[in-house]
Amino acid sequence: MRYQPVIGLEIHAELLTDSKVFCTCQNEFGGSENTRVCPRCSGLPGTLPLLNKGAVRLAAKAGFATDCTVNNYSAFDRKNYFYPDLPKAYQITQFESPICTDGHITVTGGKDIRINRIHIEEDAGKLIHDDYEGISMADYNRCGVPLIEIVTEPDFRTIEEVQDFVEQIALRLKYAGVCDAKMEQGSMRVDVNISIMPVGSSNFGTRAELKNLNSLKAIGRAIEYEIKRQSEILDNGGTVVQETRRYNDNHGDTKALRSKEEAHDYRYFPEPDIPPVLLSDEDIAEIKSSMPEMPQMRFKRYTQEYGLPFDDAKLIISSKEFSDFYDETVKINPDYKQISNLMLVELNRNLNDSEKTISDVTFSPVDLAELVKMSSDGIVSKNAAKDILKIMFTDGGKPHDIAKEHGFIMDNDTSGIEEIINKVLSENAESVASFKNGNQKIFGFLMGQVIRLAGNGANPKLAKDLLTEKLK
Amino acid sequence: MALKQLRAMLDRKEISAVELTQEYLDKIKSKDKTVNSYITVCPDSAIEEAKAAQTLIDSGSISALTGIPVSVKDNICTMGIKTTCASKMLEDFVPPYDAFVMEKLKLQNAVMLGKTNMDEFAMGGSSQTSYFGGVKNPYDVSRVSGGSSGGAAASVAADLCAAALGSDTGGSVRQPASFCGVTGLKPTYGTVSRWGLIAFASSLDQIGILAKSAEDTGYILNCIYGYDENDATSSKNSDGDYTSLVGDDISRLKIGVPKEFFGEGLNEEVKAAVLDAVEYYKKLGCEIVNVSLPSLEYAVSAYYLISSAEAASNLSRFDGIKYGFRSGLGEDFGELIKNSRREGFGNEVKRRIMLGNYALCSGYYDAYYKNATRIRTQLKSEYASIFEKCDVILTPTAPTTAYKIGEQENDPVKMYLADIYTVTVNIAGLPAISAPCGYDKNGMPIGMSLIGKAFDEKTIIALCDRFQRDFKGREAVI
Amino acid sequence: MFNSDLTRHLAELSKISFTDDELKKMTADMTSIIAVMDKVCEFDTTIKPYSLDTVNYNDLRTDDARNSYPTESIISNAKNVKNNSFVVPKVV
Repeated sequence: MRYQPVIGLEIHAELLTDSKVFCTCQNEFGGSENTRVCPRCSGLPGTLPLLNKGAVRLAAKAGFATDCTVNNYSAFDRKNYFYPDLPKAYQITQFESPICTDGHITVTGGKDIRINRIHIEEDAGKLIHDDYEGISMADYNRCGVPLIEIVTEPDFRTIEEVQDFVEQIALRLKYAGVCDAKMEQGSMRVDVNISIMPVGSSNFGTRAELKNLNSLKAIGRAIEYEIKRQSEILDNGGTVVQETRRYNDNHGDTKALRSKEEAHDYRYFPEPDIPPVLLSDEDIAEIKSSMPEMPQMRFKRYTQEYGLPFDDAKLIISSKEFSDFYDETVKINPDYKQISNLMLVELNRNLNDSEKTISDVTFSPVDLAELVKMSSDGIVSKNAAKDILKIMFTDGGKPHDIAKEHGFIMDNDTSGIEEIINKVLSENAESVASFKNGNQKIFGFLMGQVIRLAGNGANPKLAKDLLTEKLK
Repeated sequence: MALKQLRAMLDRKEISAVELTQEYLDKIKSKDKTVNSYITVCPDSAIEEAKAAQTLIDSGSISALTGIPVSVKDNICTMGIKTTCASKMLEDFVPPYDAFVMEKLKLQNAVMLGKTNMDEFAMGGSSQTSYFGGVKNPYDVSRVSGGSSGGAAASVAADLCAAALGSDTGGSVRQPASFCGVTGLKPTYGTVSRWGLIAFASSLDQIGILAKSAEDTGYILNCIYGYDENDATSSKNSDGDYTSLVGDDISRLKIGVPKEFFGEGLNEEVKAAVLDAVEYYKKLGCEIVNVSLPSLEYAVSAYYLISSAEAASNLSRFDGIKYGFRSGLGEDFGELIKNSRREGFGNEVKRRIMLGNYALCSGYYDAYYKNATRIRTQLKSEYASIFEKCDVILTPTAPTTAYKIGEQENDPVKMYLADIYTVTVNIAGLPAISAPCGYDKNGMPIGMSLIGKAFDEKTIIALCDRFQRDFKGREAVI
Repeated sequence: MFNSDLTRHLAELSKISFTDDELKKMTADMTSIIAVMDKVCEFDTTIKPYSLDTVNYNDLRTDDARNSYPTESIISNAKNVKNNSFVVPKVV
């Protein structure tokens, strides 16, 4: 039988706060065992959680980034279960009243994926396993790192939709400064709930929850495997068991983690140590006003208003810093296309060659805007602009100063260039003859000779026009 | 001796802080073998603290508690000093931090004599569930001290400290105060920070004071109340100055007497003594108002469900891994913690954890836990309407006086039902003070309770103080 | 009705092991305790469940990191420590 997958996501994202969510320990990745812990996050008796305003703020921002409603009232609950990485034996989370609800993201193909909720919770610690001694060692540095969990409705039907959604979420969270969204490091973790049903059916099957997916590729492979696995079960007359399965990237398969018998009863109840949080309309408006323009809006602007090709627009928005730089530059000089080209080709070349990122660039958007203007005004040639950019990038300096110093200012004196052309033509009589015999290619060679003699300041257009004239 | 007098003697150098501390340490040494009110006595650090306090007194830098020797219940974290909750589970637990109230005591250079005995994890009303043996009533050592702050109450009654810090989740300060013939104050929820109080039921727990008089409880509360950024449920509404109404004319106050507190199950001698107290206030000119708390009949069940649910969660952290008792048995994580908890917890604690998980588990949550919190809403609103008619409510503290050890404390249901007069105060977050108002035929103290409006400790302290000016209390002879 | 299966289930949730005798005694205790607790089941469900008073967003703790505690003070109460970490039997 042919089956249709039904997929929903639960995405955990670590918030970029300075301190942990319920204590004042530093919120940072890694570190020696139990060096970023205090009585609170290590669950010592008598301690009480102290909610971090910054975490609430970032969770609200995540809501705005995904078109959720940010609620005035949100409250915390305890999720009770025993595990050695959870020192209090309960996780503080938001169960009944999450901070954000009812969002959506449009994915490839124009389909809306509904977001059920975004809630705040705390991360657990890390376990290091020692097979030889048969022990696990608990390190609580990650305990209390603030997380949001983004829960979607089971609206996905293809791997592409899932991957596009995850990519968009990661990008939006980065834009909003909510999370650095490094899947490989685990700062964003995607769990996939997947079931299958016969094509044409509308009754969802029993779902499996897939964990340990730390790249877009892994997500794709795991879903593919799972569709195959579940299809085989159904085709053989079996039933799919509701369970959690761990994806193994080396084998490209999934293995059951917990069986149904051990299904948890988390015994949620309102956290008595944390009063529910009230965000006033003013608070919500203030947080919203601090949001940067989201990538999907920028994409729309770049393609619809600026006329950039889709691929170029997508490349620009793939980094907020890059897009910010572009926006700052076009604000001064609205030469959208030229600036896009210069940044995507030349600037990126320089960045790649030097293994730097846009935030390492020392010149300003003002400088770049000026450079493009010099080029479009014919003060320097397009080729010269590329060279100037390289010098700006490596040695710094203002574009006009560099142009002057290196003789890039275009020479518009016709007599000077005419003299050079005459010289080139007389010295290359054979080539000229060849051209006149129909060898069009030789034009480039002659043009190159002219530019070489004319130097940095040559006006290529002028030279080209004159050369064409002379060769007639 | 009243704390005011003690303060004056210290300030006038009639006794040094070291002498006073030594006196108490000596008394503890000679008497506490019988009473068993302390789990840990701290002679060395107490003398050091007394010396430091004396230096301050000599230099004239004196706070209200400088050099005053107090005891602290053993569920309040003391940095570097064992904090056991009277449980095998925490037999050798040494907190690396101080509770907020300990910081306050240290700031004032009070002297901490030691940590007092209690019911295990503060669950109980007899102080007989302690892993370190039960607390004896100083009025009759064959009887219970009450609990859970039984060690604190007994330490005050036997004069083994000048005053004591306890905790009250469902009556754990007031009931032992009643049984031991001392004054016990449970402040409004949020008045004293819970930071460092090992949680039993977070939404009900409140640190309280056991002392020799109502004025003394106010004296101590003045030193330990206040908003604490470390406790998100601590309040900014407390205004301090808790003894400011002491000595004022109280005849304008209206006292409510709720009929449900005087019904079936109340011992006749207790009833008579408490009604005598009502009569006393009436004679002073207070208006006595008949009021009603109709949902009292639901209170015990609601209290046990809420407190046990929170306790089940709060006590889940005790697994033997990070601190506390760790069993030698258990091949895997699950077995290890199950055995650690089996061996580390006593029976009553296990019952509460089981009950709490019953109230919270899937299929029972709505009927039990959620309904219990509805009753909580209802009781709060019933109290609110009572306080539209009066300023203070007067009730018995407990249905009986202290009973013989072994008589009742092994019957959980009987024990739970005996909390009927105290639990509603915690459920509604109100302040209440219990003070002796008579003695039964066996010479055991009878306690009455004055319940105040939220954050109005001042009034109940003043009203209680007025009673104590005329009441002839008997000292415990031990 | 309360029975030993329910006690076993609660014991599992509570992570407390019981011997058969202990379980029997606990079942008896719980049966009489639950009988008292059943009182709440008849209560008016139209009344709002209790919740804490709210706190305003602006009164929450400002996001400032401070020093953590020395590792030693955090692990000093543990019975089994290796690599400054808390040791448990291996979990999968």
